[in-house]
Amino acid sequence: MGLKAYMNDIVEAVVTTAKGMRITARYGVDPREEVTLQYPEERWEIPEGYRGFLHNDIKTCTACTMCVKTCPVDCISLESVRGADKRMVLASYDINIGRCMYCGLCVEVCPPKSLKHTSGYEMASVTRGELILHFIAEDAAEIKARVARQVAEAAAKAAEVAKAGAQAGPEAAEVPPSGTAEAAGAQASAKTAEVPLSGTKPSDVSSESAKAPVVEPKAAKEGENKE
Amino acid sequence: MEALAISLVNAVPLLAGVPLWAVTLLLMVVVAAVILVFALTFEGVGSLVLRKVAGDIQARIGPNRVGPNGMLQFLADGVKLVLKEDLIPANADRLLFKLAPYFAFVGSFAAFVVVPFGVGLIAADLNIGIYYVMAVTSLVVIGVLLAGWSSNNKWALLGGMRAAAQIVSYEIPVGMALIPAVLIAGSLSLQDIVRSQSGLLGIFGWNLFHNPFTFFSFFLYFTAAQAETNQTPFDLPEAESELVSGYNVEYSGIRFGLFFLSEFGDMFIVATLSTACFLGGWNVPFFNAGTLPWIWGNLFSLGVFLAKAFTMVLIMMWVRWTLPRLRVDQLMRMAWKYLVPLTFVNLLGVSLWLLVFKGKGIPAMIASLFG
Repeated sequence: MGLKAYMNDIVEAVVTTAKGMRITARYGVDPREEVTLQYPEERWEIPEGYRGFLHNDIKTCTACTMCVKTCPVDCISLESVRGADKRMVLASYDINIGRCMYCGLCVEVCPPKSLKHTSGYEMASVTRGELILHFIAEDAAEIKARVARQVAEAAAKAAEVAKAGAQAGPEAAEVPPSGTAEAAGAQASAKTAEVPLSGTKPSDVSSESAKAPVVEPKAAKEGENKE
Repeated sequence: MEALAISLVNAVPLLAGVPLWAVTLLLMVVVAAVILVFALTFEGVGSLVLRKVAGDIQARIGPNRVGPNGMLQFLADGVKLVLKEDLIPANADRLLFKLAPYFAFVGSFAAFVVVPFGVGLIAADLNIGIYYVMAVTSLVVIGVLLAGWSSNNKWALLGGMRAAAQIVSYEIPVGMALIPAVLIAGSLSLQDIVRSQSGLLGIFGWNLFHNPFTFFSFFLYFTAAQAETNQTPFDLPEAESELVSGYNVEYSGIRFGLFFLSEFGDMFIVATLSTACFLGGWNVPFFNAGTLPWIWGNLFSLGVFLAKAFTMVLIMMWVRWTLPRLRVDQLMRMAWKYLVPLTFVNLLGVSLWLLVFKGKGIPAMIASLFG
């Protein structure tokens, strides 16, 4: 190394150091350069279309189960029963938000647009169970029982009307019991003590149909536990 | 110290019966305690300022939770360090492991003895002041090397070896860069060096402006001293990105705290030496603090000295958060191929200047032109 290169090295070291120190001094003095967001006190503005926690407006939800079917990670589960006015009534609607991957497919697919992403992103829990969002506070079995009661009442009323009006004979009279069968089944999953209102005794058919809706949520719950 | 003891005994009649050595010993303990408190306070506040400066430079905020604006963060850190479990690795050399932090801390703290805080504020005005500082701060090498060796950890060992190589190498340019100040003052005592920079010239009486060589000498000293105290562009002994934390990786609790404190103590010593040797020490510009009443003169000079020293500390922090770390070979090349030759040339230059111009600096010559 010649003397010239040696001196150049020294000059370069001094110049680059000075340059760097000028930059850091500018950052050090200028308070506007701070980029820290002091999170709990200050929050960032949530952008439009932000996919936060899911929220289902159960009043407009039609229990079509599109969200359940489309969810790639199976985090949504719902139970429903057919109500007296032939519309589906939600018995339970749970989203396991700990499993959700915020893909937004369920929101896209929702026909009544009742399922939405909120802007919420803060949640903490000690157990995984707390991460399951229950959108219906009432117990599913109670709702089913209530709906069954309503259906039975409606059926009884219809039967009465039919009896009073036509008095046609066995065909008309036999229709209502088959309608109540489903309701009675749903009731069976609740408490047998609350059964009385279904006037007709539960037939073989009714107990058969009773099992079907009960099994499904149980299987889902088992899957949860295994996780 | 004995002179002070004698004057104290003369002034306070109650002490007449007490033997002189006892009074002297008592005074020594008191002075040592005062300096220790100062050192610890500086180190605590220094760590807070360091983090705040780092935050500002890196576009962050820095600690702001403990106390108003994070001012009490250093107390929280200190309490945490004291309360933490003192772990010793199973395969460590226990005696050396326990001894190492004390070497490091004593090495940096003992240098505070000759720090000229003010006109009369100095624990011991040794006639070999600079030599003493150089010698006693070398104890830090032993501490660091011992820590690295006794931890029985490859990173700690590497850090310790690097520290030893680095500190021993940079000792030479540091010493050579300080000698110009000694030559000008004609004394090794830090008080004499500071007094040699007083006078009517004010700022231009400082050794920094004495002649071009002393000007360079200051920057050479500052660079080399940063390396000698393991400050960041040269913090290879504890390069956290390659050696985890270097020599102190196995330390926890108060033993780690001692290493930490010694690092800040070294920082202050470097700031002190550059202030005393090149920036006029406690001299108040255009004003002789020695002529004031004892208490006011000392207060004035203490304030001026601390202001200068803290500015130097701030500049060291600024450098620390600016420059990236050197590689080991770059570090050694810088010491032996650049700093050592440059400081020797510089020393030669200062010596020749003093010989040719009979010890007069440029400002003095300009002043004599105007009478």
